[in-house]
Amino acid sequence: MPATVTKPPDSNLRIRPKGNRGTDYAALLRAAQGGNQAAMERLLMKAQEIAYRFSLLVCGHADDADDAMQEALLKTYRHAAQIKEPEAFRTWLYRTVKNACLISRRRRVDEPARLHSLDELSVAPDGSVQALEIEDPGRLPDQVMENRRLRGALHRALQTLSPENRLIVFLREVEGLSTRDVASVVGISEANVKTRLHRARLSLREHLEAP
Amino acid sequence: MKSSSEHRCRQLRERLSRYIDGEMTPPERRAIGAHLRHCPCCRTMADSLRHTIDLCHRAGSARLPADVKRRAQSRVSALLKESRSRA
Repeated sequence: MPATVTKPPDSNLRIRPKGNRGTDYAALLRAAQGGNQAAMERLLMKAQEIAYRFSLLVCGHADDADDAMQEALLKTYRHAAQIKEPEAFRTWLYRTVKNACLISRRRRVDEPARLHSLDELSVAPDGSVQALEIEDPGRLPDQVMENRRLRGALHRALQTLSPENRLIVFLREVEGLSTRDVASVVGISEANVKTRLHRARLSLREHLEAP
Repeated sequence: MKSSSEHRCRQLRERLSRYIDGEMTPPERRAIGAHLRHCPCCRTMADSLRHTIDLCHRAGSARLPADVKRRAQSRVSALLKESRSRA
């Protein structure tokens, strides 16, 4: 009889926040397939949001974010009606975004000077990079500054990871995919995802703790 | 004795992610919980690992910048409008 795995009932239990994690992509897709225009619009916005975060955090090509968003938008729109298993839509979307970003990357000869931070950058239509305004409602200015500093430190730490480990951290920690879905998107075993994720977390922690 | 204790700490740290992610059996979890209560070094390590993970979670809740969002919405509107006119 297999051992039962339970969640720890104590304060050590990690609570996964909502945000983009709380989106029910399967329900959204079903509604869009049923002709709900608002659901389709939301789905297309979600696809672009994912492509934007992926471009900046994983690929580090802020200038390619618009191309990746456009690609994710078109692919989602063209294929949404044909997807037979709505539950599999989310992994399909991340795989599509990953491929879109990699294609944009191959088009470029140069590598990025550094990994850009969501807090630092926004790309204008002419390709220029602008400062970002971060929404931090209800927080004191000191907290906003501290959060900004921590996010900057996190992005620098992410840059030190290998591209594949950065992708795993992005999918699992930033986007909240399950280990199984991460394995499916990356194309490795679940055990491998867990091992790599643990190593990546230790590495990130080490860089964040460094003076 | 010291090397045995260090070995135990090393072994525990290899399993910290599984502990934090709640992927352990109750006996495993109890054993690690007991160790963390008595080992300040491992407890500090576990706390800072949780902090690192929480930071990553927060990065996922960052919203699109206003100008990026506007362009994204324009693309959606244009695509749907084009689709309707074709139909």
